[in-house]
Amino acid sequence: MRSLFSLFVFLFAVSVSAVSTTGNRLLAILDDVADKENYSKFLGDLASRGFELTFETPKSETLALFHLGERKYDHVIFFPTKTKGLGPNLTPNILVQFLNANGNVLVTLSSGVVAPNSLVSFLAELDIQLPVDRTGLVVDHFNYDTASAADLHDVLLLPPPTAVRSDIKNLFGAGAPADSVVAFPRGVGAALGASELLTPIVRAPRTAYSYNPKEQAEVVDDLFGAGEQLSLVSSFQALNSARLVLLGSAELLQDKWLDEAEVTKVDGKKAKTFNREFAKRLSAWAFQELGVLRVNWIEHRLDEAGGSNETNPKIYRIKNKVSYTISLSEYAYDTWSAFNVPTNDVLQLEFSMLSPFHRLPLSFDKTRSTKDAAAYTTTFVLPDQHGIFNFKINYKRPFLSNVEEKNTVSVRHMAHNEWPRSFAISGAWPWIAGIAVTVTGWIGFCALWLYSAPPTDKKKQTKKTQ
Amino acid sequence: MRFTQSFAPALLVLAGVAQAASSWGFDDGTLSVVAKKGGAGVKEKITSKSPLSKPVTLGSTDTLKLVLSATDNGKGKRPHQAFLVLKQQDTGLEAPFPLTVKETGKAVVQISHKDLPVQFLLASEPLQASVVIGSFGSAKPLDTPVFSVNIETDPAIPPPAYEKPVRYGKKAEIHHIFRPDPKSPPAVISVVFALAVVAALPALFVGWLLLGANVNHLTKAIGTAPISHAAFFGSIVAMEFVFFLYFTTWNLFQALPVLIGVSTVTILSGSKALGEVQRRRLAGER
Repeated sequence: MRSLFSLFVFLFAVSVSAVSTTGNRLLAILDDVADKENYSKFLGDLASRGFELTFETPKSETLALFHLGERKYDHVIFFPTKTKGLGPNLTPNILVQFLNANGNVLVTLSSGVVAPNSLVSFLAELDIQLPVDRTGLVVDHFNYDTASAADLHDVLLLPPPTAVRSDIKNLFGAGAPADSVVAFPRGVGAALGASELLTPIVRAPRTAYSYNPKEQAEVVDDLFGAGEQLSLVSSFQALNSARLVLLGSAELLQDKWLDEAEVTKVDGKKAKTFNREFAKRLSAWAFQELGVLRVNWIEHRLDEAGGSNETNPKIYRIKNKVSYTISLSEYAYDTWSAFNVPTNDVLQLEFSMLSPFHRLPLSFDKTRSTKDAAAYTTTFVLPDQHGIFNFKINYKRPFLSNVEEKNTVSVRHMAHNEWPRSFAISGAWPWIAGIAVTVTGWIGFCALWLYSAPPTDKKKQTKKTQ
Repeated sequence: MRFTQSFAPALLVLAGVAQAASSWGFDDGTLSVVAKKGGAGVKEKITSKSPLSKPVTLGSTDTLKLVLSATDNGKGKRPHQAFLVLKQQDTGLEAPFPLTVKETGKAVVQISHKDLPVQFLLASEPLQASVVIGSFGSAKPLDTPVFSVNIETDPAIPPPAYEKPVRYGKKAEIHHIFRPDPKSPPAVISVVFALAVVAALPALFVGWLLLGANVNHLTKAIGTAPISHAAFFGSIVAMEFVFFLYFTTWNLFQALPVLIGVSTVTILSGSKALGEVQRRRLAGER
């Protein structure tokens, strides 16, 4: 009854709030629909952000991700389920199809529950390896909550996530209170492959390790992973920008850890958890509410005095000076705002025919930017090679949706009357003088041939000889 | 199930309090590097107090062996976690090597080149090795640097290939290298030769004058066939002028009709004008 009531509250919230850029139909897969009580705050947050939640169990016969070849849901959350497989409606193949069809997936695991075969194969498809036997427990004897896990050390206290690299925006941990921690109770670590589509969001601390509580309670004989090689929260973004988040600890999303629960660090200090905000950002990123980029417009034109002012012409000449401007916006929860390139990163433009001839940084253009769109521009001289070229923006970065823009133009060679005139070239002066002399000499010769009288003295000479 | 899980630690807290303030450590730490073919090798004693001052060297056929006894408050005991962690200083890459631990706490690990990740084999600086010992309960875990190890590769064997994985990020800038512009010799040289060419014209005229060239028959020719001569000579000059215009401003399609017109005039007037010239020659005046 209460759950029905809260569902109505959710549905009401849907009608008043903004939502993800790719849709608001969210499917939650649970063992038992009653389990959602444990996650009521997290699910309430999602509903208040405008998601339309549907709850299903893997056994349900009505469960299908596709209807007549179209996606039925935009996003899927998997909560831990005890069933060994997920049935014929959630095979790894269907899940990959779902990603290919721009659907987003949030997978949560728990060390107490063996991960279903279907999910393990699906994750393996994305080059994410789970511990053997499909279960594991991450412990750290150095950072744990002494209040709730004094003996088992399986509630990890992690600092709020920092940027993986210096040129990536810290989407998940930015603005976290200095002494707050992310509590990671009874989670499973994963090993990520070398794929560029995978990025860890939270890595295990260097002293943490994963073991199998059933078989390795006494001795860790075969280590699955330890330290920063172990990814606790991982992200995958496909080339079509569909996203998958693997959260090692489903318990992190449960009500008791979500609000600012108090935990005790190993050194005895109390700290508040950052879990609610972290869970919000994590789900927002997975469901395309954070880190989504949009190209507003692209403009290129000739940048030469006295040249044509046409926007986006089809053809340029070699060595033309050309300016290129692109306008980008970034989405955050419900608003589009100007996209600012992270500090150590640059937006690059390639001018390419098969391979890039130019790869140039674009700089922020204040005059053409607005509050919700940032313009980036560059001016350059086209290469001295004619052919079919592309203005190409290939901005793929971890945690940001992919921007791949291609504008094709022809670059023609110089027309015969676009070269400098011969008299402007100093090396040609002797040759031009030669022509002038020939012309003058020819006219003089013609005049002479037509009008010359025999020389008088010569006449006398001829008479004498005669 | 999950509820019992969360209650259990609360009970264990009480148990933990009883043995509070104990801490993990190790005794009898021995590090040895044994070469495959006998060799003397290195044997060092290590403690958790201070790391070895000099790095040990691990050759391509050597085996590094670390033996120690883990202790909890001085008493030998088996910890759950006993790792030797190797760390590459410049990249921060770490690889854990779990020690095989017996009930008594006696632990051993052997490492040779084939156990190491490729990146370590290519490391230029010594790897930092630490021992991490920890276990469940309240005993304080240990994480201490113990020695550093230099990885020596055999120069006879080619180094293992390592390709950095692709990561999305900014790429190196590319600026197209333009072909060099055509160059002219110094203008002075061009001017000198142009003047030399121009000087040939007065030389030609002077030469003709010295040979007795003149235009004395002009009045006679004009008198006999005024229109033909004016038109013929004018058309020759006009032809050159058309060529000049074609060189400066006109295109071929502007020049061609004019050229056809001018050459018609040349042919028509030429027959008469040249006839007059022939008559003069036959009259012996040329």
